[in-house]
Amino acid sequence: MPLVRTYRALLVAGFQQMAAYRIQSLLWMLFAIIRPVIFLAAWVAIATAQGGAVSGYTVGDFAAYYVCLAWVSQLTMAWNSQEFEWEVNQGRLSAKLLRPLHPIHYSVVDNIVYKLTTLPVLGAILIVIAIAFNAHFRTEPWHLLVFIPAVVLAAGLLFVFGYIIASLAFWATRMRTANTLWQRAAFVFAGSIAPVVLMPAWLQTLTYALPFWYMVGAPTEILQGSVTPERAAFILVGQAVWLTVCYAVFRVVWRRGIRAYSAVGA
Amino acid sequence: MSEAVVHVRGLEKIYKVHERETGVGATVRSFFKRTFKEVPAVGGIDLDIARSEVVGFLGPNGAGKTTTLKVLSGLLYPTGGEASVLGYTPWKREYAFLRRIALLMGNRTQLVWDIPAADSFLVLKQIYAISDHDFQTRLDELVDLLELAPLIHKPVRQLSLGERMKVEFAAGLLHGPEVVFLDEPTLGLDVSMQARIRSFVAELNRRTGATILLTSHYMDDIVALCKRVVVIHHGKILYDGALADLAERMAPYKVVGATLRDGASRADLERYGDVVSNDGAGRVKLRVPRAEAPARTARLVADLGDALADLSLEDPPIEDVIDRVFSGGQLEPAVG
Amino acid sequence: MIRYGRIFRSFVGAEIKNELAYRLNFVLGLVEMLLVVGTSLGAVLVLFTQAKTLNGWTLPEMIALTGVYYLVQGGVNLIFAPSFEKLMEYVRLGTLDFTLLKPASAQFLVSTRHISIVRISDSVLGFVVLGAGLVMLGEAITPWAALAFALTLACGILAVYSLLLTLVTLSFWFVRVDNILAIFWAFTDAGRFPIDLYPGWLRFTLATIVPIGIAVTVPAEAISGRMSLETFAGMLAGTAFSVVFASWFWRRGLRSYTGASA
Repeated sequence: MPLVRTYRALLVAGFQQMAAYRIQSLLWMLFAIIRPVIFLAAWVAIATAQGGAVSGYTVGDFAAYYVCLAWVSQLTMAWNSQEFEWEVNQGRLSAKLLRPLHPIHYSVVDNIVYKLTTLPVLGAILIVIAIAFNAHFRTEPWHLLVFIPAVVLAAGLLFVFGYIIASLAFWATRMRTANTLWQRAAFVFAGSIAPVVLMPAWLQTLTYALPFWYMVGAPTEILQGSVTPERAAFILVGQAVWLTVCYAVFRVVWRRGIRAYSAVGA
Repeated sequence: MSEAVVHVRGLEKIYKVHERETGVGATVRSFFKRTFKEVPAVGGIDLDIARSEVVGFLGPNGAGKTTTLKVLSGLLYPTGGEASVLGYTPWKREYAFLRRIALLMGNRTQLVWDIPAADSFLVLKQIYAISDHDFQTRLDELVDLLELAPLIHKPVRQLSLGERMKVEFAAGLLHGPEVVFLDEPTLGLDVSMQARIRSFVAELNRRTGATILLTSHYMDDIVALCKRVVVIHHGKILYDGALADLAERMAPYKVVGATLRDGASRADLERYGDVVSNDGAGRVKLRVPRAEAPARTARLVADLGDALADLSLEDPPIEDVIDRVFSGGQLEPAVG
Repeated sequence: MIRYGRIFRSFVGAEIKNELAYRLNFVLGLVEMLLVVGTSLGAVLVLFTQAKTLNGWTLPEMIALTGVYYLVQGGVNLIFAPSFEKLMEYVRLGTLDFTLLKPASAQFLVSTRHISIVRISDSVLGFVVLGAGLVMLGEAITPWAALAFALTLACGILAVYSLLLTLVTLSFWFVRVDNILAIFWAFTDAGRFPIDLYPGWLRFTLATIVPIGIAVTVPAEAISGRMSLETFAGMLAGTAFSVVFASWFWRRGLRSYTGASA
């Protein structure tokens, strides 16, 4: 299949390029670690003050949750909403549109290359943190099996959603606000502040209704092993629904965006 | 007689450049032991410039012109020798000194991109502590001389390159400097803008008596503005004197341009001088030793007679002169 | 001194005219800040639905600390961060020379040249949140607490400034310093909680190398009356040291630049 061959070529080129950005990429990983560590420290303090657990979540559980959260965050992350505007302004998008390949594929490759480069190092660091905090994982083998489709759906959902935001760059001059909105929504709903079961009821409802938790928080719970089979099924269904919706929206937005872009002279 | 505004003796600037090789091994090695290469940018310069002179620095890339200007304006400290400008040692960067000089670099802007030049001018007014009266007077004069009125209230970003250079000039001269260093001021500008900048610089020298040191690639800048030219090559001064004399000493020949009627033979033109160019349509250029130019020209005219349609006798183009200087040509002893 | 005040005022004047010209951008910037501060406060509130104290800090005290967090961010992002970002560009493009030609302190010029007016919203919002926290606390603020707060806040901002100046000075030797700065920004997130919450190594980092931690925690302690005299003294001494060091390092950097630029 030609697409496979294209991907192979792009991946090779991507890894060659990554050699120049290796240190930068690893430094960017720091962002991925700091926030989970901070909130973990907060919950540990709270749990310790209450005799070691908060509503059933022990210190060990929190440690496992946040280690998994950091891991899943890195597995599912995408940054197109920030980079796209720059690409449009620099004329790089035009260059890509001239080629017989949808620009999104380049982003997919960049994404994969970055993750493959940073995940091993992150993994090592997270193991250290897990040991230091006495993380208690409740993971069973079936959790791991379910985790695979869950994290793939999550990554896909986050990627596509991010691309919808990115496409706004075709019209909007102030992408920063859109990005801030998206980042803050993710901050609140994706699971950084707390495992969703510990949030106030009304916030929980909102969390299940919006797509953000399905991108990070939900697969985290699966990996950590704190989900029942019913809940796991609920997650997978939710992810599939949101992914379908977002993909449909993306197709529409992208097509309209390209038309608007070409109208002004790409 | 005016005392030397710029006084330089034995000025040296040697850069230590870290030698870089590619490859992981070399990178690791360089972590532990750095090897340096010494690159002499300026290797012993003596110079005296009097007040209100306009001096041109001429030299190929890497000759040391910009380095010399940077040392004289205090941006670089030398590795040897001494220099004084207006009585100050430049690299001490005393504020009193900095207030009296200016350095303008072609193609580089000090103005903030997003705000109108007028706002930047106000900032400069504060930094240089220019009095309200002086500021207004000079601003009006510069706006008038450089035709800036429609430009200074637009964000600098929206100006064309030529307009930006004009505004840069104004910004650089607001504080009424006595010594102005110009580093490639017309770089990248179109021909008409170059001419405008040139006439502005001449006017500046005339009106304020500012001493001007100018480096340029463009011979036209030097020819138009500088009676005195300093030729720098490989960090040393090759020539320091009048531009006209340079031509005589460096390229002691004249160029004879002869236009021949159809059919005239060109082969034997070699007798009169070196054939420099022959465009195939009858126009030929000959290089003739300066001293013999009148005699040879007369003989050419006599011999060719009707076959000669047109004749001209010119000084060598300045570019040729300079090329000769840089390709290591020897300077002829000065002709009396 | 007065002269530098006037120079700074001219920087502000130029910047205000520029930013307010883009009114939509300005308003959107305010909206963004409201969103950021709001969600951060929300995070604190969520934590407190499950707890009465966070490592000994009550909800009003945590709200006050959140306010200080944004006050410090505002202080840094208003003047120093944008100026230093431009400085790195100047070093790269060679236009730092123009700054060095000016008859004024290069350190002052590069530190204050570019101001991001919209960031005043960070400080204003921080102040509002701090005020809300203090009101909730219900206790009267002693003059000593207020003074200690002002001093430690200034120290905190100065400490962060010194760190940034030091990092940016590195760009005289290493071209790609943005990576190092990225590390700093990553750690900034940790300032949202009191540093006594963190494991030893992190606490130490946030108190010394990346002082954003103490820049927020100590003033918050000061105004809620839980700051010890040792902490206060340590803060003053530490800040003095970092300021002196950063200035010295900057001069070293300049010396290297003026010896090496081609």
